[in-house]
Parts: sequence; structure tokens; C-alpha cells
Amino acid sequence: MALKILIVDDSPAMRAFVRRVMRLSGIEVEQYMEAGNGVEALAALESSGVDVVLTDINMPVMDGEDFVRRLRGSDRMQAMPIIVISTDATTHRIQTLLSLGANGYLQKPFGPEQLRNEVERILGVNHA
Amino acid sequence: MLEANDTDALVAALLDSCCEQVLETMFFAPVLEPADPASSSGAARVDTRLTFEGKPSGAFEVDADPGVARTMAANFLGVEESEVNEQQVDEVLAEFTNMTCGSALSSLGCVEYFHLATPRTSRPVEFAPSINGVRRAFLLENGTLGVCLRVDLDGM
Repeated sequence: MALKILIVDDSPAMRAFVRRVMRLSGIEVEQYMEAGNGVEALAALESSGVDVVLTDINMPVMDGEDFVRRLRGSDRMQAMPIIVISTDATTHRIQTLLSLGANGYLQKPFGPEQLRNEVERILGVNHA
Repeated sequence: MLEANDTDALVAALLDSCCEQVLETMFFAPVLEPADPASSSGAARVDTRLTFEGKPSGAFEVDADPGVARTMAANFLGVEESEVNEQQVDEVLAEFTNMTCGSALSSLGCVEYFHLATPRTSRPVEFAPSINGVRRAFLLENGTLGVCLRVDLDGM
């Protein structure tokens, strides 16, 4: 099954890196959507659903914590799988995001294998 | 309680480990050997720095040979070096700064939480370190990369 992925990060370079690593992971992607912050991501999701959201935390306008909180508060999007990608691996931060409703947490640095494992884990599928 | 020298040694080891891991995993740029951190002073560098607030607060700085910064950007984006523009070099070095600092802080046992400010990049013709902290440097394929971390443990 090819996936529709939303990448939320204020850095165009990081969004390009995630697309590249996704390609290297072997996961088949039907469509990438991109957003530079939580507000843009919510707007994008209003018009089109996705299979997985990959989101940064530290972003302007609306950060990752607020974005996850809003998604989980939405009737239509509350079950959407979310993986947080962050350099911050403190217990405080991870527990906060998971308690808000994130399904997975991927710490930078990461490579294709870690990304693939996390996507497959939260979707409960194998894309080999 | 850790003495200052113990803390510096711990931070130095963490910087070595985190830089090596970040460079290899996300920039496909292996560290060839350690370099002298003082060697970048007075040279043309791409310089990126950020501050962080939390428990603890502090600052982090990265300085790179322009050739190293360009190679890192090309490797990160998966394109040829000739296709990379200056803005992309700045963005990618900012990403390296962000993730190396975050990785080091996350590995430092005494850190409760932190918030990284947006990295700022400049291109000094004669680089001079802007923060006083633990400095490390590494030889990569096209030149050297330096890092410096200051952790303010007062009040923790």
C-alpha cells in the first residue's frame, strides 16, 4: 500500500531530508504533503487526509505540541497517526508528546531503518 | 557533585560522540580524526550559533570550513555540490547545529528540559569564537568542523 505522508517542519532542508530518507527506507509513498508549521498543517489536512503525519516540535506560529493537541481535539483527525521527529530526547519532552496523543517519537539523528521501523510500528503493517 | 573539570571532560566526550553520530547518520560524512579547535580562529568560516533555555541554559556554536559546509549540505539534501545555493548551506548547517546540540543535551544526565532558539548563521572572513565553553574540532574530507558547547549549570 502506498502512503500519503504529511511532513511538518519549518526547515525546507529537513523536509527534503525526510523525503530522501523515506525514499531510501523502501516505503512506498503515493504523495507527500508539506507544511512549515502547525497552522499550515491543519489547513492542509482540512482538504486532504493522510496516512501518517511526521512533525517537528520547535516551529514558529504553531509548534508541534500545540499541533498534536489540536489534531487530537478534532473529531475528524483525532485518530490520525502522528510521529514526532525531534532532536530533544529528554524524558520530559517525550512524555509530554506521547501524553498529548503522538503515536511515535523519532529522535534525530535517524536513518532509513529507524524511520521505516517507526512508520511500520505505528501503522501495524510491513511495507517490505 | 561533579567538579568543573569532570563536567568539561563529560561534555567533551559527549560532543565527540554526538558529532560523529550525527555526521555519519544524517550527513554521510565520517570523522577522519580529531583536529585542533584553535586552528579555525582567524580563518574564513561558516558560523552558526544558538542559545537554549531550560534546565540548564547555555549556548552552542558550530564553525565549518566553507567547503565542509557545502559538502554537508549536498550530502544532507542528496544533490550535487554544484546544485547547492548559499541559503541551503545555511539551512543545513543550522539543522546540524540544532540536532547536535539537542542530541548532546539529551545525553547529558543532568538535563531536565530545554528549548533551542533558532540558529543564526554568519560568514566571518576572520572567525573568532563567540562563546566560552568546551570546544572540539574534527577533520572531515574537505576540511575541519568545530563545535563549542557552554552549559550553565549554576542554580541546578
